[in-house]
Amino acid sequence: MQWGRSMIEKGKISSFQMALIMYPTIAATALLTVPGITGSYAERDMWISPILGSVNGFFTAFILYQLHRIYPKESLIQYVELIIGRFFGKILGFVYLFFLLHLGSIILREYSTFVSVSFLQKTPPFVIIGGMILVCAFAVSGGIEVLGRTANLFVPIVFLLPLITAILLLKDFDPKHMLPIMEHGSLPVIMGAAAPQVWFGETFLITLILPFLSDRDKGMKWSMILVIGIMVNFVITNLTAIFLFGGSASGYAFPLFTAIRYITVSTFFEHLESVAIAIWIMGIFIKVSMFYYALVLGTSQWLNLSDYRPIVFPFGFLLTVLGCQWVAPNFEELNHFLVTIYPFYGTLLMTLIPVLLLLIAWFRKKQRNKEQAPNQSVQ
Amino acid sequence: MFRRKRFKKLDNLNTQQVLKQQVLSSDLNDNLQVLRSMYQDCFDVVFRTLLMGGKTKAVLVYIEGLSNIEELNDHVLGSLMEETEGEIDSPQSALREKMTISKLNEVKTFADCIENISIGNPVLLLDEAETGLALGLGKWEKRSVEEPTAESLVRGPREGFVETMGVNTSLLRRKIKSPDLKMKSMKIGSYTSTDIVIAYVEGLADQSLIKEVENRLKRIDIDSVLESGYIEELIEDSPRSPFPQLINTERPDTAAANLLEGRVVILVDGTPFALIAPIGFFSLLQSPEDYYQRALVSSSIRLLRMLFMGLSLVLPALYVGVTTYHQEMVPTSLLISVAASRESVPFPAFVEALLMEITFEALREAGVRLPKQIGAAVSIVGALVIGEAAVSAGLVSAPMVIVVAITGISSFMMPHYTQGLALRLLRFPLIFLAATLGLLGIMLGIITIIVHLCTLRSFGLPYLTPIAPLQGRELKDTFFRAPWWMMNTRPHLTGKFDTYRKASWKKTSPSKEEK
Repeated sequence: MQWGRSMIEKGKISSFQMALIMYPTIAATALLTVPGITGSYAERDMWISPILGSVNGFFTAFILYQLHRIYPKESLIQYVELIIGRFFGKILGFVYLFFLLHLGSIILREYSTFVSVSFLQKTPPFVIIGGMILVCAFAVSGGIEVLGRTANLFVPIVFLLPLITAILLLKDFDPKHMLPIMEHGSLPVIMGAAAPQVWFGETFLITLILPFLSDRDKGMKWSMILVIGIMVNFVITNLTAIFLFGGSASGYAFPLFTAIRYITVSTFFEHLESVAIAIWIMGIFIKVSMFYYALVLGTSQWLNLSDYRPIVFPFGFLLTVLGCQWVAPNFEELNHFLVTIYPFYGTLLMTLIPVLLLLIAWFRKKQRNKEQAPNQSVQ
Repeated sequence: MFRRKRFKKLDNLNTQQVLKQQVLSSDLNDNLQVLRSMYQDCFDVVFRTLLMGGKTKAVLVYIEGLSNIEELNDHVLGSLMEETEGEIDSPQSALREKMTISKLNEVKTFADCIENISIGNPVLLLDEAETGLALGLGKWEKRSVEEPTAESLVRGPREGFVETMGVNTSLLRRKIKSPDLKMKSMKIGSYTSTDIVIAYVEGLADQSLIKEVENRLKRIDIDSVLESGYIEELIEDSPRSPFPQLINTERPDTAAANLLEGRVVILVDGTPFALIAPIGFFSLLQSPEDYYQRALVSSSIRLLRMLFMGLSLVLPALYVGVTTYHQEMVPTSLLISVAASRESVPFPAFVEALLMEITFEALREAGVRLPKQIGAAVSIVGALVIGEAAVSAGLVSAPMVIVVAITGISSFMMPHYTQGLALRLLRFPLIFLAATLGLLGIMLGIITIIVHLCTLRSFGLPYLTPIAPLQGRELKDTFFRAPWWMMNTRPHLTGKFDTYRKASWKKTSPSKEEK
């Protein structure tokens, strides 16, 4: 039965592909809003905050990989039952699924707000979100292999976006903007790290991919490379914003895309933000698909379904409705939530509870070994 | 219920099928009766009665125009009619000794008889013998080997497959002389019984792939196969996809190159188009000439081709999207000139694009279908109507004409016609998406197409193979074409069995003595 349960998804991907899927899953929305949030605390030191925040990324990946090693064929939704018992496990599993649903609709809301602010002012969010959900549903019903392959094609382009932006803006940079470093001590920098660290905590989602890896031993290595890659990209993005706008970078809702607006190549290629948004849509597509996939796969694991495909479309509808209406009345409110509540809410579920689970699992394993040791000597 | 009834009806119709399974009897008249009833109302079937050696009664059955009559007269009839001395205890063995024909087969059933007669081998039936003789004297009108018209090259072999199986297999055999080139034959089609040959190189092609191809071919139950397109649709993985999952080629050199990369080639009698499986999206972007021209040049041409593949898909959509929603993207000076030329046009960009694209497609289709002499006239009229009159009448804008022209040229650039067709088709939904959601719509459309490509498989091989999933070793022959002295490893497909194509890294250079 155990075997049957973990076989809802039949595909296999490599750990490299896992890292490729996870990169936009963390970075796509982070590139949008995090520089602004970080900047409001850390101002011109905001490039240090992602480095601090990445510690949580390494830690979360480590915890979930350890849990994976104890339960190599199950995801968190499944082994939580084995660790704290069926009843409490189901409750906690539901909490996680609800969290994924909530987070998924927040992402959709961020995406639709950004798209309608940037270029489709009069289009109702339902159409913007619905279109994306349809495409994602198509990808999700293809399974993890299709997600991996799409990531393989898209992520190199998404990855290069901040780098190319930085190169094209090189002549406008003023490195003096970043001085003096840590003018107000280290506290603002640490405060500024609160938002990036919870985004780094989204590495949590590897728990749903790890059981489907074809090369499990490399899972840890690629998770670490992933976190480093994201950190580097965050630092470059934040430095771009600082070099360009100085301490006032936090005044912009989407500093990276405001920066792209300044790109001029030989006075002919101007206003490249549409191109940048087009590339960013590839990233957000993978992000939404991953959360969507995690949600439907987790739900079918939670309900012991034999296949997740029948619930793809119903959940797509749910995500669309929640993304349009429910998560927040407006973007300011959403940003307020992301700044104040989300760092605690996200960290609790994505990092702290897994730590607790790991401790219980270790404790149980030790006890079981103690019980088994005398048995073995008898045999 | 309904299906079962229909099949029963079919069975009743084919009572002759049952007769075919019968074994030849020793009575010549009985055999003749059966054959005559089968070939009732077939005026082209000839029954020639003769006396063998002046004693034994025999009948020669053949179809006019399928057999070599001269040889039949010289080598068969001549020796048969000779008066022989004494008694013959076994006419069969005597015949075998006498007849100066290299290919002689014994036939035992009516099915064998009919098969041989219909491929042009005259069948000789003897009195008081339970077996007949099929004489390998098939000869019929066939087209000579010509330059393939659908895939033309500047540099490369000029020969192409023809409609005759024997010629096609010989063309392949001339390219790959090793006995490892295997060709398995089978027949498909209850009425046409078309010859199908599965060719592969043993030791290079995956055994499981060959099995899979054979199984899929065996599962086909169809009355007729008139072109390899029938087979293609019946064995591909996702028949509903617009993208081809098998390549068809007229060129023996392309077929041979693919055989050597571990692929399977399916030859179908009656068509010059052979099928190649499995393939990936990027093999559709490769022309055989890429491998014959200089590496640097063909690499750049390959990149150009990829760029224009993208353009042929998105350019009209991009034009519609940008002029409708994202004017700010266009540089100011360009925007002014575009706006000026669009000023007098009464249609929105979407209608304009649709109008032009559909007209262009119609024009192209007309050009293909018409006889060559009229085809030129159509293209002149089309160019004048679309290029000049429509613009000066103010119906469409000049930039739109340029966009349509570039799209047309870029879809002509695709080395494989079937892929060009897919891209031409997918352009229209993209235009629609661009008109409704702008750049977001185009991106969603492109993402959908790419997700679809990611789900596709060709005989188990992921469609976007060297890129997704990434196969580092194959990249040397994907975006660019590495020089031959660098291509020392075989593609991933066959690398498992025979990794090295040639000794590694042997670039020819002046020998040391010369230096």
